[in-house]
Amino acid sequence: MKIEDVKIAVLRIEGTNCEQESLDAFKRLGANPEFVHLKQLLNIDCNKDEKREISQFHCLMIPGGFSAGDYIRAGAIFAARIKSKLNKDLVEFVKQEYPILGICNGFQVLIELGLLPGIDNIISSSPDACLNINDSNRFECRPTLLKHENNGKCIFTSKILKNEIRLIPSAHAEGKLLFPLDKQKKYIKNLEENDQIVFRYVNPDGNYEGYPWNPNGSISNIAGICNRIGNVFGLMPHPERSYYKHQHPDWTITKLNSNLGDGKAIFESVLDYICKRF
Amino acid sequence: MELDRLFKEKNYPFNLYEVDVFSASEQELQGISDRMGIALALPEMKRIKDYFKNKKRNPTDVELEALGQAWSEHCCYKSSKVPLKKHVFGIEENKIVAREDAGVIEFDKNHYYCVALESHNHPSAVEPYGGAATGVGGIVRDVVCMGSQPIAYIDPLFFGPLNLPLNEVPKGTKHPRYLFKGVVDGIRDYGNRIGIPTLSGQVYFHKGYTGNCLVNVGCIGVMKKEELIHSRAKAPGNIYIYVGGKTGRDGIHGVTFASAELTDKSEESSRSAVQVGDPITKEPLIHVTLECNRKGLLEGLKDFGGGGLSCVSGELAYAAGFGAEIHLDNIPLKEEGLLPWEIWVSESQERMMFLVDPKNVDKVLHICKQWDVTAVVVGKVIDEKITRVFFRDKKILEMDMDFYTGGPEYDSCQRPYIIPEIKRVDEKDFKMPDLNEILKKLLTCPNIASKEWVIRQYDHEVRGNTVIKPLQGKIGIQTHGDSTVLKPFENSFRGLSVTANINPRFMERDSYWGACSAIDETCRNLVSVGAKPDALLDCLNFGNPEKPERMGEFYEACRGLGDTARGLKLPFVSGNVSFYNESVKTAVPPTPEIVGVGIVSDIRKCVTSDFKAEGNPIYLVGKETEKEMGGSEYYNIMDFNEGIVPKADTKQLKNCMDSILSAIDKKNIASCHDISEGGIAVCLAEMTIGGDIGAEIDVSNINKALRTDFKLFSESNTRWILEIKKKYEKEFEKTLKKQNTPFIIIGITKGKKLIVEDKKKMVVNLNVSILRDLWKNAIWDVMG
Repeated sequence: MKIEDVKIAVLRIEGTNCEQESLDAFKRLGANPEFVHLKQLLNIDCNKDEKREISQFHCLMIPGGFSAGDYIRAGAIFAARIKSKLNKDLVEFVKQEYPILGICNGFQVLIELGLLPGIDNIISSSPDACLNINDSNRFECRPTLLKHENNGKCIFTSKILKNEIRLIPSAHAEGKLLFPLDKQKKYIKNLEENDQIVFRYVNPDGNYEGYPWNPNGSISNIAGICNRIGNVFGLMPHPERSYYKHQHPDWTITKLNSNLGDGKAIFESVLDYICKRF
Repeated sequence: MELDRLFKEKNYPFNLYEVDVFSASEQELQGISDRMGIALALPEMKRIKDYFKNKKRNPTDVELEALGQAWSEHCCYKSSKVPLKKHVFGIEENKIVAREDAGVIEFDKNHYYCVALESHNHPSAVEPYGGAATGVGGIVRDVVCMGSQPIAYIDPLFFGPLNLPLNEVPKGTKHPRYLFKGVVDGIRDYGNRIGIPTLSGQVYFHKGYTGNCLVNVGCIGVMKKEELIHSRAKAPGNIYIYVGGKTGRDGIHGVTFASAELTDKSEESSRSAVQVGDPITKEPLIHVTLECNRKGLLEGLKDFGGGGLSCVSGELAYAAGFGAEIHLDNIPLKEEGLLPWEIWVSESQERMMFLVDPKNVDKVLHICKQWDVTAVVVGKVIDEKITRVFFRDKKILEMDMDFYTGGPEYDSCQRPYIIPEIKRVDEKDFKMPDLNEILKKLLTCPNIASKEWVIRQYDHEVRGNTVIKPLQGKIGIQTHGDSTVLKPFENSFRGLSVTANINPRFMERDSYWGACSAIDETCRNLVSVGAKPDALLDCLNFGNPEKPERMGEFYEACRGLGDTARGLKLPFVSGNVSFYNESVKTAVPPTPEIVGVGIVSDIRKCVTSDFKAEGNPIYLVGKETEKEMGGSEYYNIMDFNEGIVPKADTKQLKNCMDSILSAIDKKNIASCHDISEGGIAVCLAEMTIGGDIGAEIDVSNINKALRTDFKLFSESNTRWILEIKKKYEKEFEKTLKKQNTPFIIIGITKGKKLIVEDKKKMVVNLNVSILRDLWKNAIWDVMG
């Protein structure tokens, strides 16, 4: 299909707040993104022309923010509201290999929904992982470097070479990926074997290092993972915040040149996939 | 005094009193004000008595409460009007498109930017987390209610010393460390949650803030020109729609609380004056407000600020020469049993008032419903200049607009003031200390040390517009920048730059030159990144205006701000006056916080403060370095109280700004940093820290009459250090010479050490990594 026909739903509820820059990222590339309030999918308080169905879209995107205040556990309320009515539609959407992207709070929502890590099933009835409070016990807004470790499964990073390091900034209080203690080793092994690990935090030399390069203490330095099919992807750092080079924190040292930022490739990759696949 | 007899309960199905001001003696009138906690002075109470005598009836308690709010210091600036009019107002007014809750200025052909700055001091001193959070919440509403999308926060903060011994914390006061943490937590949790980046600010420590910390909050927004909306009715019949959070007992008497000194009892007596913030009500409230405005559904718009419903409904109508009829029955309440006067004056957060044409009411209510934002019709604009309020079908307030909302004019009865005398103490001679040690010590001074601990807790990148961040340089080892820059629009490289400054140590010594220096530094900061100063905001935090010395400081500060801004042709677009920043023992140093906004014509040319490459020449540009050591960080660590405060010269400043901006435009400059606290030495250190590149400096040619330590640590105004790209050296010098801008070459970028010589003698020789560790860790070590 043509890129201008690719319809993307940028989902939001109260407290979602990275929606504009997320929408812009798709729009700049020529796609057709739209803000969709969850109530439009649930058909609550909508006029006829405001109703939406998941199946009308080719991609769902859950942006960053503090949905519903994140007062219980980050992403938990948003996920519960989705799951209560849209579980079936969501599974169908993933089965048909349409992509779902979750950034920061969106990643937290995907974990709470059980769509990620998605090792055994498309969706699990209760979360298999959690994004816990950062080791520093505070919100951290800092540049992070991500090493691309995916061998080709993740459709969101097809335009990034393996082992390439990208600057994609982080800003969150709850980003420490953890699995149930008794299954931790097994899960990481599974993720590695299934090629579900997408990004790991590294230092400027490309090595794994603790805080602050790993800003939250995430296990095995994991920054982003995809499901077993490769079409559901979640990450804590914000690629929409390094779409352009001028958004990078250190661009005045180097040059802007073509103003290409490190995060852009993620949006390009998924649109490329949709155009080719559907 | 037997006051009970003056309060006569009405035979209504709810609690309402008639207050007998007719038969009250002068003493009793004052007694009424005190008992009700409305902070009105006797002349005001007498004015009220006269008004109601004319109306041949006594006021209700609702009416007195309403007047207390409307006439308080906070709402109508009764002490400050005269000096502000004389000095601060009237500068380049034609640039200002609107000045209501926020000031509006043109950004480009199709857009305006909108800015507001205010204080939230007393609430933050009593309850730092809630006080700061609601401060942030309040200022964002000021920007939204002009129709603009908020894009950045600026938060200047002032606390007592972090290492204050516990036994020196005054009774009823909280430790500065607790306050610092609480305030930063509050700003973080609120600002991050509503998705507006906190971009800039200032954190300053000084013992004068121990009993009364200062929390100033600023916000910037942008809008299309056609989206500008005013805080006034369009026509009688406009419907008042109350939108947002519920009304509760929190934030009652907030305005009157701000207009009195803090005491050791403030905690108990004033806790209820601090509102409770709820960012997750606010975030959708911003959405619905902007959406309704963009769709052209609103006639007028105002946020609930000080004085609550009382002020907001009155001012919307009064500004257009109309009146208001309001029914309190539909106001959504947090709890049952609120008395009518409490509903009328509560300052609960997250509320906006829309004025809507009757034909659009349903559309507005629908949009609100979609976002689950409460919205109810509460009244209408009427064609008489009267405010009438009803509760359960009973009229509980009826007053003329001119009397009630117009407020008393104080021009003729200004407060007495005494201009402070500037002490000229001869400086004693002292032996020059080891400058390596002094520089190391300076880098750990809390007012110089890295503020990373604060900055990283704020999301300064959300919305993706932040192109020059608050921390600059190589990632992982960034240094302080002078200003931050936003690129607000997708299809334009035009940028907005912001910075915030005041030097309280200068201010406590000399309010006039201290105020001039604040604007000088603000301009320096903006120019450093490549921004042309465009507008100023002032938040004037002072002590008790009833004391002539405090009023004198205020006059001098206003004079300094006015003289400097006029010289630079910069308007004050928005501002706020906060008096009574006094507690048990001390008043705060006079603190006229200045926020500057600059325009960057092309953000791709922006410059940061970190050294970029080895082998580049380093220049000192600007005014001669003088022995102006009063209030300097150097004298502070040496424990010297003497010295004169730096002076400023707007002509010279303007000349330097033009030259530097033109060199930035020609891409000659690799890095640029202004010289402020800690002088040339600290400025150089910060530049080496962020770039991880050392420098070899020779200060022999800087004011030859000065001793080395004064050269290095003087905080004279109007100076910058610039790293020039080697190949542009000649072009750069030509640019400066053409305009007669003074400059001196002082060295080159080289190696990993900062080395400083004066007249062949090496005075500083330190590894950049040592400088960085000291500078970077000082506040982390205290705050953890």
